[in-house]
Amino acid sequence: MRKHISESHLIIVPVIMLLLISCTPGSCFEETESYVKASFYDNVSKTLHAPDSLTLYGLNNDSMIYNKTTSVQPALIPLNSSTESCTFVININGASDTVEFQYNSFPHLISKECGYTFYHHLDTVLFKNHAIKGIYISNKTITNLNVENIRIFY
Amino acid sequence: MWRTFAYFISLLVFLTCSQIQVQAQDTIPIPLKINIGLEVSGPVTYYTNKNILNAEGYISVDLNEKRSVIFDAGYLNYKYSQYNYSYLNKGSFIRIGMDFNLLKPDKSQGRYWAGIGLSYGISLFNSEVPVFAKLNYWGTTVSSISPKTDWAHFVEVSPGFRAEIFNHLSIGWSASLRMLIHTSTGKDLMPIYFPGFGNGTKRVSAGLNYFIVWNIPYKKIKVILKKEVKEDTEDNGDTNNNGTNNNGTNNTTGTSGNNQQGKVIRQ
Repeated sequence: MRKHISESHLIIVPVIMLLLISCTPGSCFEETESYVKASFYDNVSKTLHAPDSLTLYGLNNDSMIYNKTTSVQPALIPLNSSTESCTFVININGASDTVEFQYNSFPHLISKECGYTFYHHLDTVLFKNHAIKGIYISNKTITNLNVENIRIFY
Repeated sequence: MWRTFAYFISLLVFLTCSQIQVQAQDTIPIPLKINIGLEVSGPVTYYTNKNILNAEGYISVDLNEKRSVIFDAGYLNYKYSQYNYSYLNKGSFIRIGMDFNLLKPDKSQGRYWAGIGLSYGISLFNSEVPVFAKLNYWGTTVSSISPKTDWAHFVEVSPGFRAEIFNHLSIGWSASLRMLIHTSTGKDLMPIYFPGFGNGTKRVSAGLNYFIVWNIPYKKIKVILKKEVKEDTEDNGDTNNNGTNNNGTNNTTGTSGNNQQGKVIRQ
């Protein structure tokens, strides 16, 4: 009996298992931001077509999201989780427009390491019809996943 | 989810009801016990980390030398905070299941247990996020999530080992692998940690438990030892009429007590 089950088993086996189980990383490696993923489409051919130049910034916000950036596909647009709408100034190939998003925000747990973020439910997207010819909402739920939310036709 | 649950219940029923037919010759007395166990790693952890209080205990009743029903209950008070949020969870859980001793009766002698436990658990808890902050292009949004009562249920597989070190007193450990079946929190606000399960952000959680167990014998049974007997030779024809097989070894039945190692006799 002693041969098979010794007291040392009581200590050694759980210590090995504890070492195997306790390798939990403590850092956040996931995407924590919920962006509106906007794909750009040519309004004539109705095909995916990145603009030659894209400038994007929030109305009343000095900081640029894109500044004459080339080959942006898709554009990642951050919504303001403190409000239920926000407006962006967009310049596509030199032509300007504004895009207003109306939405509801709700908290979402990413992971223990990363904490909480806000997801959004998109209600309406408004634009001035200058540079942008049309916007199609393909997925109303804005998450941190890499899923297209809107298509911008220009 | 329900398919997994149904499978688990079926497995429990099958393992409970299955019986192996043996031809018995010798017996060994095995005491059946009521076991009252106290999980000790929870209080030890609390001594070093005041943010996690986990108190847990169980009562199990031996049904026979192999199986015992187990009722496990516990309480958790969990606090966690990091740079961008804090989280509180307080609640209780119960687990009901069965332990299976894989040791043969002549090895276990009613004193040793090495086996596996299968159980179903349900947890009721109150969780709250007093504050969380999210920084993005528009600045920092500070918010909170109000206290809310939720429940969750899960299944658990727990291999382990216990040994009686003093009269009526055992110590042991078990490794637990738990699979979450459902939680009422919804997928957006999964519990970071909840009673009886642990990390609720993942579908599967693992842990180790250490127990001190008080054993109260309530009945003594005589367990039939299975004899080590070679396969019946008439079926496969590899024994001749004078009782030796093709290898020339003796094939007599009724081997001595030293060879009682649980071979199933075929009649």
